Amino acid sequence: MLKKIITLIIIQFSFSSTLIAKELNVFACEPEWKSLVEEIGGEKVKAISATHAKQDPHHIRARPSLIAKIRRADLIFCSGAGLEVGWLPLLLQKANKTVQPGQLGYFIASEYTPVIDIPEKIDRSHGDVHPEGNPHIHLNPNNILLVAKELNRRLSLIDSSNKSYYQKQYNNFINRWEKAIAIWNKEIASIKGKKIIIHHKSFDYLFNWMELDEIASLEVKPGIPPTASHLNNILQNINSNPADIIVISPYDPTDGALWLAEKTQMPFVTLPYTIGGNEESKNLFALFDSSIKILQNALYDK
Amino acid sequence: MTMFKILLSLLATFFVYSKCAVADDIEDRVKELEAKIAQMENKGGAKAESSSGSSKIYGNEFNPSIGIILNGKYNNFSMKSAEPAVKGFVIGHEGERGREGLQLGESELNFSSNIDDKFYGSMTAAIVKEDGEDKVELEEAYLMTMPNFNLPDGMSLKAGKAFWTLGYLNEHHVHADDFANRPLPYRVYLNKGWNDEGAEISYTLPTDYYAEIGGGVFRGDDYPVKGGDGESPGAMSAYARIGGDIDQDQNWRLGVYYVDGDNSGGRAGNDGDNTFKGDSTLYVTDFKYSLAPTGNVREQELTLQGEFFARNEDGTYDDVVFNGTSYGWYVQSVYKFNSRWRGGLRYSQMESAGVPTGLIGTNMDGEGYDPTSVAVMTDWTNSEFSRVRWQFNRDELASGSEDNQITVQYIISIGAHGAHKF
Repeated sequence: MLKKIITLIIIQFSFSSTLIAKELNVFACEPEWKSLVEEIGGEKVKAISATHAKQDPHHIRARPSLIAKIRRADLIFCSGAGLEVGWLPLLLQKANKTVQPGQLGYFIASEYTPVIDIPEKIDRSHGDVHPEGNPHIHLNPNNILLVAKELNRRLSLIDSSNKSYYQKQYNNFINRWEKAIAIWNKEIASIKGKKIIIHHKSFDYLFNWMELDEIASLEVKPGIPPTASHLNNILQNINSNPADIIVISPYDPTDGALWLAEKTQMPFVTLPYTIGGNEESKNLFALFDSSIKILQNALYDK
Repeated sequence: MTMFKILLSLLATFFVYSKCAVADDIEDRVKELEAKIAQMENKGGAKAESSSGSSKIYGNEFNPSIGIILNGKYNNFSMKSAEPAVKGFVIGHEGERGREGLQLGESELNFSSNIDDKFYGSMTAAIVKEDGEDKVELEEAYLMTMPNFNLPDGMSLKAGKAFWTLGYLNEHHVHADDFANRPLPYRVYLNKGWNDEGAEISYTLPTDYYAEIGGGVFRGDDYPVKGGDGESPGAMSAYARIGGDIDQDQNWRLGVYYVDGDNSGGRAGNDGDNTFKGDSTLYVTDFKYSLAPTGNVREQELTLQGEFFARNEDGTYDDVVFNGTSYGWYVQSVYKFNSRWRGGLRYSQMESAGVPTGLIGTNMDGEGYDPTSVAVMTDWTNSEFSRVRWQFNRDELASGSEDNQITVQYIISIGAHGAHKF
């Protein structure tokens, strides 16, 4: 029996090593990174995203299909800062040598951008805190520049035969992105300083960049779902110190936000958060376009 | 020391000054410089300056992760007399129903860490009360190769004492179970769980769908096999499983497993009765299906899970020649209403093998009766780290014997807590 298994294993292994990969297999943990790697990698990469926009990337399971996907990955591209801590380590045990931590094929975006919200005190009574800081870094467009640059470097090293291709794609992307940032900066000037109520700290980078003021979160503590008493507290605070808008992500439950919106007549919007978060957000450019438009509309209507 | 401080502040001043000077310059130059700095830092292997928060080094950086599981319960049994044996089977101590009243469950202590670039190690000890005494039971102590170890990609070796790959529940610690007790086949065949000493190799195939195969050799001294003397491996195992997604909301896994052992020293029941000697082979097949709207298992989920066991024994029971196959199975479904509440239902059943005349009237004689157990549970989860559970369990282990059991239980997880397997 054992002999059979070993023979099987050897046969399988010799087959897999003779296969020549035509495209670079990229395992992106989140849709924003899948989108970015497609911008720069173009036709030379085949990217999949482990999560989709309606899914909370903190809480997915290391399910069989993900094991199969990471097993074949040439590049793992994730946010890091603890976002995937509940499932990526398990998957990594099944991944190839070249995509292990410390290798070129293991690319953690938050290691190349500023990280905010690093807690001074780490205590579970504060909820599911990330000792590493806030991982939702892709929502500051300036961070995308930093990550894209490192991504270009990694792609060129892993797949050096296509180095010039990646460089061309990268230059093209950066050029378009910088122009977009200039436009967005003008657009967001009008909503500066508005007061926001959030569900979870998913949008801190976006609001930091937009210079919006986050005054409360529907979650009792990060990762601890809203309770009636907590919502009542928020309601009372708002009565004395009004907020402008409630913002949630596509994967947040809506009941708490709906309740508060009804009680206060405050507008309540769902920002796309990532690629596919709403119909418009088909790529990174559209993600920011749509987010800004939604906020502007909601705030101007008021 | 002071000298050092002065030097440091001078350096800092210089750094700030130089940055200011550049900032006065035109925008393009800033970008160019920053890019160069970033590049230099990247080349040096260091993280970008701004992310220094994630690379802080603490004095305890290299200590292993420590996790503690606390678990307490209250048991109430309608059958006050001693629990009857599972009709037609000889079972181990852990397979029994436990104590009545307020009590601590297994308090688990886990240490785990990457040992170096090639090995990962983990140890889990459970402190339990047995016969009025606190005892330490070593549940797991193993090392596992990491992908950097020079095995082919996708292959991993695990050695020591561990909950080996067998069916669905066996790999999971009891605190991760959906019910307060284990289903009948686990209680009967595995004495709750199989964690023999040995080594196991696993290989994940580089296929589009998930496929994993593996097998191991073991001492053969833990249920389902007992009495291995260590002279030669007393048990071996093999398994294969596949899995995948149906769509964004649904996924599944299916597996077949086998453990074979020679029980050379004999496998006795809890009370020393009916000792089996000879070859025993356990076949298991399991499935797990999960449906979660939009794939958010944290908010809502329906799971369906089942395991089917068949055990063939060829040898002697108390010197009476015995060759027979018995069966056991369970199916369960758990529904998560929202992020805090779940409810579940489980049914398990055993079917014993016919006995030769020499064993008629012993525990091995099932007299055609199939022991059953039904469980209904609901639990409340505050965070990933705390859970309270209520369970009703009805055991009908022998003809005319009904035991209604109520359990209230809490499970708390403190400190580092590794991700749970699928």
